[in-house]
Amino acid sequence: MSTGPYNYSYIFKYIIIGDMGVGKSCLLHQFTEKKFMADCPHTIGVEFGTRIIEVSGQKIKLQIWDTAGQERFRAVTRSYYRGAAGALMVYDITRRSTYNHLSSWLTDTRNLTNPSTVIFLIGNKCDLEGQRDVTYEEASKFAEENGLLFVEASAKTGDNVEEAFLETAKKIYQSIQDGRLDLNAAESGVQHKPSQPGRNNLSNDQQANKDNCAC
Amino acid sequence: MLPAQQDVLNIVQAKFLAAEVVKTIHLNVSVVDGPLENDNRILTLVEYNKSFALFVLVSSRIQPISFSDLSIESVIPLDQNFSFETEPVSGQNYVILIIRYKQNKYEFKIEIGKESCNFAAEIIHAKEVSLTGASNFTWLEKYFGTMNQANRNSETSISDQSDFVLIREGMAQGQASINRESMLKYQMKLREPEFTQKQEFTIFVGTWNVNGQPPSASLKSWLSVDEKPPDLYAIGFQEIDLSKEAFIFNDTPREAEWQKCVMDGIHPNAKYRLVALARLVGMQLAVMVNNQHYQYVKNVSFDTVGTGLLGKMGNKGGVAVRLELHNTSLCFVNCHLAAHVEEYERRNQDYKDINARVNFRKNPQAIKDHEQIYWLGDLNYRITDLTNTQVKTLLQRNEINTLLRADQLSQQRERGNVLLDYSEGDITFQPTYKFDLHSDIYDTSEKARPPAWTDRILWRGKGIHQISYRSHMDLKISDHKPVSALFKSEISVIDQTKFRKVHEDLLKKMDKHENEFLPQVMIDQTEVVFDLVKFREPQARYIIIANTGVVPAEFEFIKKLDEASYCKDWLGILPFCGSINPGEKCDVKLEVNLETDLESIYDILVLHLKGGKDMFITVTGNCQKSCFTQSLSSLVRIRVPIMQSNPQQYNLARNNQSPILYSVPRELWLLVDHLYRHGLKTRDLFESSALHEELIRIRDWMDFGSQDPLPGTPQAVAETFVLFLSYIKEPIIPFELQDVCVAAASNFQNCRQLLIQKLNDIHRTAFIYICMFLQELLKHSNDNGYDAKTLASLFGDILLRDSIRNAKPQASRGKANFMYNFLVNDLSALLIPK
Ligand SMILES: Nc1nc2c(ncn2[C@@H]2O[C@H](COP(=O)(O)OP(=O)(O)OP(=O)(O)O)[C@@H](O)[C@H]2O)c(=O)[nH]1
Ligand SMILES: [Mg+2]
Repeated sequence: MSTGPYNYSYIFKYIIIGDMGVGKSCLLHQFTEKKFMADCPHTIGVEFGTRIIEVSGQKIKLQIWDTAGQERFRAVTRSYYRGAAGALMVYDITRRSTYNHLSSWLTDTRNLTNPSTVIFLIGNKCDLEGQRDVTYEEASKFAEENGLLFVEASAKTGDNVEEAFLETAKKIYQSIQDGRLDLNAAESGVQHKPSQPGRNNLSNDQQANKDNCAC
Repeated sequence: MLPAQQDVLNIVQAKFLAAEVVKTIHLNVSVVDGPLENDNRILTLVEYNKSFALFVLVSSRIQPISFSDLSIESVIPLDQNFSFETEPVSGQNYVILIIRYKQNKYEFKIEIGKESCNFAAEIIHAKEVSLTGASNFTWLEKYFGTMNQANRNSETSISDQSDFVLIREGMAQGQASINRESMLKYQMKLREPEFTQKQEFTIFVGTWNVNGQPPSASLKSWLSVDEKPPDLYAIGFQEIDLSKEAFIFNDTPREAEWQKCVMDGIHPNAKYRLVALARLVGMQLAVMVNNQHYQYVKNVSFDTVGTGLLGKMGNKGGVAVRLELHNTSLCFVNCHLAAHVEEYERRNQDYKDINARVNFRKNPQAIKDHEQIYWLGDLNYRITDLTNTQVKTLLQRNEINTLLRADQLSQQRERGNVLLDYSEGDITFQPTYKFDLHSDIYDTSEKARPPAWTDRILWRGKGIHQISYRSHMDLKISDHKPVSALFKSEISVIDQTKFRKVHEDLLKKMDKHENEFLPQVMIDQTEVVFDLVKFREPQARYIIIANTGVVPAEFEFIKKLDEASYCKDWLGILPFCGSINPGEKCDVKLEVNLETDLESIYDILVLHLKGGKDMFITVTGNCQKSCFTQSLSSLVRIRVPIMQSNPQQYNLARNNQSPILYSVPRELWLLVDHLYRHGLKTRDLFESSALHEELIRIRDWMDFGSQDPLPGTPQAVAETFVLFLSYIKEPIIPFELQDVCVAAASNFQNCRQLLIQKLNDIHRTAFIYICMFLQELLKHSNDNGYDAKTLASLFGDILLRDSIRNAKPQASRGKANFMYNFLVNDLSALLIPK
């Protein structure tokens, strides 16, 4: 790696998706701030958070996009899937409808991301065991059938939150190591910002090549 | 403080956060050597939590009235890299204020007076405070992002650029300009005691002026006299080559010869590796390290400075090597200062020049910024006020201390003229200069120079203990004797586990900062609902974007995937992008202007913060139907004014499913009829623009129907007529026919043929109807001033309008030619008998 000892070597883009109210923003907040937001307003847009983690001795900067879950924004939030290396797909274990919608979220993810995108299914609010509406086994089976990583987590207690984000990164990192993730292709993930031409594309490319030789 | 200045200070304070206190300002400062010398700079000293920084603000007005008149040009932290001085300009009432920060130099012209005196005093005080505490300058990070692009220096460049980026998107504007690496390094240094422990290393420093002699003796008696092998050697020579060639070309075979001799002469009980070898003409400095420590040596760099002839030649001057051993920065300087007894001031100056000019181009860059500095060489300071005989007598009596009182270096150091803050061990050896070659006898030549301690070793920094300081009388090939000093120096060695912990902790903290430094804004509404939207009756709503973060927020409305623009064509956003400073607000006007046939408007706008989140703003509203945006074919199917038609009738008509009731739309007929009766003789009928309200009255009269006569002047009705034809859903000559029409324009029969064969009945009838009206107008040319050519070009663009509004009317001429045919020929044969 050409980067100094203090710098991260990768930036992974994550998106968090799922029905409204399932706790996407709370998960992000818990991950970046280690705090729970008891009354979190609906996300009207796409929130942005970042944290640097380490995987196999590599510093990785996660850029996390937390999308609005409301149905009416669905068409717009679809713009944000492109170029995501990881997708955290969240449902609420106390509301079956949020689980039932997973297949539609999954379809979007599969259609709008590239095949190497790591999809992690999170059954959130596992602290509310008493109100459980979706069994662990059922969801776990769904995940297995669709080749998804899966945990039940709680943005409130922090259970499994760290794990979900880190496991996703590990999986992505593995894909890079195995050469399954074509970095040059991932780089072509379209920027949704018209004002930002691909200023970094060239350097990305060079860096990508460098990295490929190194590993 | 003067009253005006107090006012400005309040304005300047508004540019900063409340906790960032503006201590003092200096107005009317101009930049020396700027492209334009204008005195609109304001030097501002700001304190945050006992750390100070100097901001150079540019005011867009001579006297700023609001903080938005100010922009930040430079930010200079008052840390150890900061220095400043003033330079008077003779005969002028101003001074040049020179501020240095690392390799940057800023020069300002300020008027001499109370203000400048106070200001300078404040800065001196601030720097002292800044340096005593462990000042933390992280608060400045956010301002680097706001600096005028052109004035950014290379140090605040984007560190991310060198990163390998998988997906590079949306870096926060504020953080992009922070050099993350140097920030971390800086923070790590502050917490060094947490992850390091002191270990003693032995450092051997030697210096010898070899008087141009080739190496011909073993150096063991100099370099290898201690029992244990030292951990590090720094060996300096002067005058290894006195030849002209060496002086002019700075190239000499002696370099390698002496270096080999050194390697042969160093302690045999350890293996050493050369870390750096620096040479300038006759001055050479080699640093060797015990093999076992080699891997802990980092960031090696050297520089040379000539202070000899012309103040720059390399016959005198210094060579310096810097390195980091574990976590301690070391600097070795070997110098050869100006000769001659009386030239001690020149020597002082050489010393200053070496300090000022050595630049390692690595952090830290200057000699003085290293934790441990070892200064060696032929400093050339002599013994004054004593005759040669007196000196020799004292030496014979071994009264070295008496003699030392006459040592120029000791005197100059005491006066603070040279090597300030440096220490030197007690000298117990005889002067090392000047001997007859190959002897221990002081100069017996005619010149009979008095002996002197020209060859010295000093040090500066914490944790350095000198074990011995001596000369080596056995080496006799030069007129100087070599000198050496052995040190036990505390080096901070990193405990890897603790280092990792602190490092991780800091990374986390910085991470958190990163999230804090993301731009944050609040908008007062995310749902904008318009009142009933009417044709060409603009309606505005305002949203307020408030910057609630700590960095300037650059916002922009961005387009969604697969869309051409950031908003639909019925909406205008002003401004659609901009920058808001922390604590400030920006009103954004959303204006809807309906010019197409829509039942309702609906869109989700994406408000993007550069480097931050995106917000969605939903815009909705219901629209009022209007005849203006319908198609001819629906209008001819609606019997009553459009607002009187019931939804069912209206929908059937829209889908061309109800019977045709009129040969031309009643709206068109109403307008033409009115103009026919009231406007034929009106001069410049189509060229005056009516009041907006007037047009709206006519629109409503047509859409709703009324018993009253058509309101408005003939000109207003004429404009309505033009509007009607311009906004009708499909132009009278449909888009797909326009090219053939233009192509046929030169021949009326062809044009006629086209109309009959290609144009549907409804459009053809309307077209002929309009042309016949225009022909009627031409009959009154004398009154209204129109000729066929003018009308042809006016209506060519309207009846054959472009599919994209406001497109360049390239084909205007052809369209006019086409129209012209129908204004000057008899059209009666074209009308279809019904
Ligand atoms: N008990 C419990 N409540 C949670 C948990 N996670 C989120 N919540 C609550 O669920 C509600 C919705 O959480 P959000 O994070 O805003 O949901 P969201 O998915 O971001 O919703 P949208 O932004 O509308 O898409 C909030 O009131 C949270 O306090 C959890 O793990 N346990
Ligand atoms: Mg949310």
